[in-house]
Order: sequence, then structure tokens, then C-alpha cells
Amino acid sequence: MTSHDVRDMLDLPQEGTPRPTKKQKLNGPRPVLKGLAREVQNLGGDNPIAIVPEVTVFKKRRFATRKPAAKWDARPFKNSARQDGLILRHWRRKDDKPAAPTVDGEGEEKKVEEIEDSTFAKYNVQVNIPDYTDEEYNLRLQNQEWTKHETDYLFSLCREYDLRFPVIWDRYEYEPPIPQPSEGDAAENAGALIVPPKTRTVEDMKARYYSVAATVMALRKPPIKMNSAEFNLHEVMLNFNPAQETARKKFAETAFHRTKDEAAEEQSLLLELKRIMARADKLGEERRELYARLEAPPSNGNIAPYTTSQGLAQLVSQLASADRSKKHRKSLMGGETMSPATGPNTSTQQPYDRRESSVRESISGPSGLNNKKGSSQNPTERRQLTEEEERIYGVSRHDRIGTSGPAFRQEKILKPLQSKSAVQQQKITNVLNELGIPYSASTRLIMPTAEVGEGFDALLHSINNLLDARKLVDKLQGEIATAKAVRAERERVERERGEGGAEVKREEGVGIAESRKRSASVMSAASDRSGKRLKK
Amino acid sequence: MAPPNTNKRCKGVQIFRPFVFGSTARLFDPVTNPKPAGTPDDHTHSWTVFVKGVDDVDITYWCKKVTFKLHDSIPNPTRIIENVQPGTPFQVSETGWGEFEIVIKIYYVPEASEKPQTLYHHLRLHPYGTDAEKEEMRTKGEVISWSYEEQLFNEPNEQFFDLLTSPVDRKAAGGKGGKGKGTKLMRGGMVGSTGERTALIPVGSRPGQPYSRETEKKEMRRMGEAKAKVDEMVKEAQRQYMDAERELAALRQG
Repeated sequence: MTSHDVRDMLDLPQEGTPRPTKKQKLNGPRPVLKGLAREVQNLGGDNPIAIVPEVTVFKKRRFATRKPAAKWDARPFKNSARQDGLILRHWRRKDDKPAAPTVDGEGEEKKVEEIEDSTFAKYNVQVNIPDYTDEEYNLRLQNQEWTKHETDYLFSLCREYDLRFPVIWDRYEYEPPIPQPSEGDAAENAGALIVPPKTRTVEDMKARYYSVAATVMALRKPPIKMNSAEFNLHEVMLNFNPAQETARKKFAETAFHRTKDEAAEEQSLLLELKRIMARADKLGEERRELYARLEAPPSNGNIAPYTTSQGLAQLVSQLASADRSKKHRKSLMGGETMSPATGPNTSTQQPYDRRESSVRESISGPSGLNNKKGSSQNPTERRQLTEEEERIYGVSRHDRIGTSGPAFRQEKILKPLQSKSAVQQQKITNVLNELGIPYSASTRLIMPTAEVGEGFDALLHSINNLLDARKLVDKLQGEIATAKAVRAERERVERERGEGGAEVKREEGVGIAESRKRSASVMSAASDRSGKRLKK
Repeated sequence: MAPPNTNKRCKGVQIFRPFVFGSTARLFDPVTNPKPAGTPDDHTHSWTVFVKGVDDVDITYWCKKVTFKLHDSIPNPTRIIENVQPGTPFQVSETGWGEFEIVIKIYYVPEASEKPQTLYHHLRLHPYGTDAEKEEMRTKGEVISWSYEEQLFNEPNEQFFDLLTSPVDRKAAGGKGGKGKGTKLMRGGMVGSTGERTALIPVGSRPGQPYSRETEKKEMRRMGEAKAKVDEMVKEAQRQYMDAERELAALRQG
């Protein structure tokens, strides 16, 4: 194109030869220099211009995009967070389209109505401070340290400063109400009753506030009905420990004032600790291996093949290969070598093992032969679960669990009942039926949960008490019957005494002795019977 | 086969998982419950026996398979149900005419390395219980015999403990024990993502889901009332005892 132009300018005849297409290609990607008019650039012909002029770029003039300047006006606004209804003005962009022309008076009125709310009003969030009635206070919220008046004061401050405890603490100036001095003993009162107000720490206030808030919360809604957020909040408030909080602050304070050297020292101590733990770990490993070796069952095999040096060499190579394969395999070694011979030993090792596995996670140094394998065996150390998590996952801890392994709650709950003799079971069932609870050994609980299980246990216990008490009553009844019989006998004898002589008297003595003996034997017979029943 | 138990058990720990098992039976009826083709003439009911989570939550992360041992007269009486979709019940549907005891055996996931456990369920086809209950079943056309149960894992091994106390995502990330096992864990983790792996039961009952905290509380109340009554009776008995003792003393003296 350019050569074409040049020819045109110099009035050279147009060459008939078509320009080679190659040139066109060359033209395409030619760098376009900025700030140079096309005409000037074209002067360079096919060779690009090597000089680049320095261009002073001025601010581009706006041409077509130019809009009329935006209009702003100072508009009044209110802030709904304020109570005083103060109206301020701020600059706002005017709407593009002008308001529809209306009658002047009306337009004015409308504007006045449409006073917008400040955009910051939404940040005025009110903290929800629980409220309590006098009755509730007297029932549940009494406290030795705090009077109702002071609690009220604290709560009013909480409300005023939105629970910002440092601020509340700063502004806390509680003055106990001055008791109205009555005429007579004014002087006395002045001396005795006015106690200087206690100085409260932030923790004191927090503790009081949280305890009151948690109690009120639980009063309004029993914890069992709360959703998890509410429950968490309740837990947190309930578990507030001022002493711990003070200790924490003190600790943070000292940590803050720690010098660089001290921090470094702590770091190095921690490292040292890790190293010691690792060493202990290794030692434990070795010791365990040693134990396993020592307590391995004595072999009764023939040692003849190993008496020669050749045999020994073979043995060594065998052992080496076994060792290698052991390393490759997942370490069954722990279980295998320990289980046959060392019964009590395993149990003593248990707690040690657990710690080992948790330490190994953090220390990557190789130690012992089943280091890596061991850690993969327990991919995660046993985690510490929070109380909430334990509730969610149904984890509970017991001092003693009868047997390990899976079981069903229903069976477990009914076991104490089912292990009783048939007669006893029948008795208990009768009582239950009497109560209108159709439980028996063969029927089931509707919801055999842990709680229900406890309830059932308690019920069973009471029933046993009842049965025992009834048995005792029965026994006494029997004794009363015998005593009555004895008495009747004696009366008869006394009536006969008029006729009879010393002979009768002797008989009477025998009778009484006999009756005593009989009542005693009745008692022992009863206990015998119950014993037998249990055995059955 | 379960892998060799090289894992240590967590001492003193017990974990439970609630579940529901039982049967639902329906009488054949030309309109509401027509007899499928090929059913023997003497069969009068269709029934389903199942094991599932409370509120249909996933239980497959601890329960691997369930076998139902039906009556010997039924063809192929031992039914093995496994690889069910999480959140769906392990169940067997059959038709028949008689009630019998079904032996339900629950097998646990290999991580647990626990032996299977056995439950017994009496298949109910005919309305039972009190008159009101019978009447309700008759009008509903369904005989429901469900039981709530809690699976206790006493001292689970550590791996299983982790599995039972982890939400799903942790599980999938932590599944790196051994090669073969790793893949299984991964799959388990993905499968379990349909539900939460917790031991919680719903707060309130809904139709078709009768087991909840509400029901539990009702049961507790009943238990508490009964206990109060029994305690009252104990006191009464003790009073009687005292009276009797006094009477006896009076008799002995006199």
C-alpha cells in the first residue's frame, strides 16, 4: 500500500505487476506506533520507522460522551436510631428524571414526607438483654453478693452500653440506696447500715450477668427444647468461670510482657520436651520388643541343625529375611508376638501405647521398626471430644463395662429383670400390671434409651423394695398369728388352771418356749425359702 | 472376613446408635392392596420386615449387612441384604398367611471388627394389643410392629471410634489406612454424605416416625409416675409393717 502511495505522489506510472502477496502479509503485523499520525508513519515506506517521537499525552478531551454535570442537592435525612428526631442534611445525587410536574403545594408536601433514613441506622443493633420479674428474682436469682438493687443497676448499664463489659466496668458507680432513716434511730442506722459499695471487677460483673441471663433463659425455655445455637449459648453462659477468666487475663498479660529471650527460651524448652518424648517413645518401643523376646514361648524344636557354623549362617539369613518381610507387612508384630505369652503384660502396656501413638503424629523422626506402619494403623490419634460432641455422637464413658463388643440397649435394660427367677419375675410383672404398665419379661420398652433405662432401673429398684417390704409384712403377720395362737392357748390354760395343778403350769412353760421357738423357726424358714427362690 | 483385630479398644467408652426394626403387614384387598400375580392362593397378607435408622437416617456406615431368617416354609428362607442405598432400610418384602419369629442378624462394617448380633422379631399380621389399638390397625389396614432399639458399641476399637465420632468429611479425608482399606473408607465417606452420622433422635414425632425425644419423655413420665406409685406402696407396706410390729409387741407383752 505504501509503495503504491509513493508512486502515486511521484507520478510514477502504475506498475502492472501485481504486488506479491508476501508483502501484504508483511504489512499486517507491522507494529503500530502510537502517537504518530498515519501519514507520517506511512512515510517510512515498508521499513518501520525507528524513531519514536516523545508524545506528551494530554487529558483526552471528552467528545460525545460528555454529559451534563450531575446535579446534587442537600437532602434532609433522619436517623431512626436516634430518639430526638434530629434532621440533618447530606448531599445526594438528584434523580435523573425530574419529578412529574405537579401542583407546587402538593410537591412540597411530598418531599417533606419522604425524609429518608440514614444508611447507618441499620448498624444500631440492640443487644437482647434478658429481663426478669421480681417474682423470678426472689425465686431463682438471689445471690449473697448482689442485692436486687445492684443487679438492676448492672442490667441497666448492660442495656445502656450493649454488654461492652470494659465500658460497663468503667462507668460502674453503684451507690446502694440510702435507707430512709426513721426519726428515732437515725444515728444508729447511719453508723451500722451503710456499707461502702464493693468494688467489682469485670469478671464479677460478667459472672453475675451470665448467671442471671442463663437462669432466665432456662426459665423461659427448658434446655431440652432449645435449638443448638441457643443451647450452646446457654452452655457457654452457664460455664462461665470468673477465676479461670482472671487467670487467662493474667496469663495473657504476662505473655504480652514477655521478652524476646524468654519467648525463645520457651520455644527451645518445647523442642527439648518433644525430643525427650521421642526418646521415651523409642525406649518404650525397644523395651517392648525386649519383653516380647524374653517372654517368647520356649521352642522345643531340635537345635541340632544349628550346632554347626553353616547351620548358624543359614539361621541368620532366615531371620534377616523374616525381619525384612515383617517390615513390609503391616506390623502385625505387636499383636502377634505379644498375645500368646504375655497376658498381663499387654494390659500394663496399654496406656503407654496410647500416648506413643499420639506423640508419633507430631514427631517425624524415624524410630523403631514399625514407626511408619504404626502411625498408619491409627490414622488419627484419639480425639478429645467436647461434651456437645459426645452428646451428638452418643459417646459415654463408664468406669466399668461388662463386656466389650456390640450389644443392644433393650437387652441390657431388661437383663436385671430377666435374670431373676420365674417366680420373682411373675411377682414383679404383677406389680407392674397393678400399676397399669404392661411390662413383663417378654414385652419390650417402647424407647429403650439410656434415660429410660435409668428410669426403669429406678422403678425396678422400688418394686424390689416393695416386694421386700411386703414379704416382711407377711412374715410379721405370720408371727402375729402365732402370737395370737399362743395367747389363746395361754388364756385357755389359765382358765383351766383353776382345776389343774402344778402339772399344768409346767405345760404352760413348755408351751411358751415352744411358741418362741416356732416363731424363730418361722423366721428362718422364710429366709430359707427366699434364699432358695433366688437360687432357683 | 473382618481384618485381624490389631486395633486397641477404647477403654471405658460406649457409643450408641439408635435404629428401628420391625414389620409392617397389610391384608390383601382387591382395591387397596391387590394380590400380585403368582401369589399362592392361601396367602392373605403382604408384609415387609426391615432394619433402618430412626427418621430414615443413614446407618450403613456402621451396619454393613443384615440377614433375615424367615420361616423354613418360605423358599430361600435366609435373605441377605447388603449394599443398600444410605438412608434406605435393609428390608425384605414377602407375602404369607402366618406369623412367625424372624431372626435378624446385624453385621457390622469391617472397621468395627465385631461379631454379628442377633435380634428377634415376631412377625405380626393380625391386629394385636388393646382393643383400641386393634381397632386403629383395622381401620388403617396396616399392622405395624416396630421396635426402637439402640445399638451399643462397648469399647469400640480406635478406628471404629473415629468412624463413629466423625462427621462425614473428616472421614473421607482421614481414610488412608492401608491400601485396600483406603478405598473402602473413601467410598464409605462419600456414601455417607447423605445424612448426619450422629446418635441424635428427632425432637418431635411425625406420622410414620413415632420415635423421638417426645416419645422418650412420655415414656420417662410414665416410668416416673409408676415409680412414685410404687414408692407410695412401699411406704404403705412399711406402715403396715410398723403396725404389725406394734401389734406383735403388744401381743407378746400382754
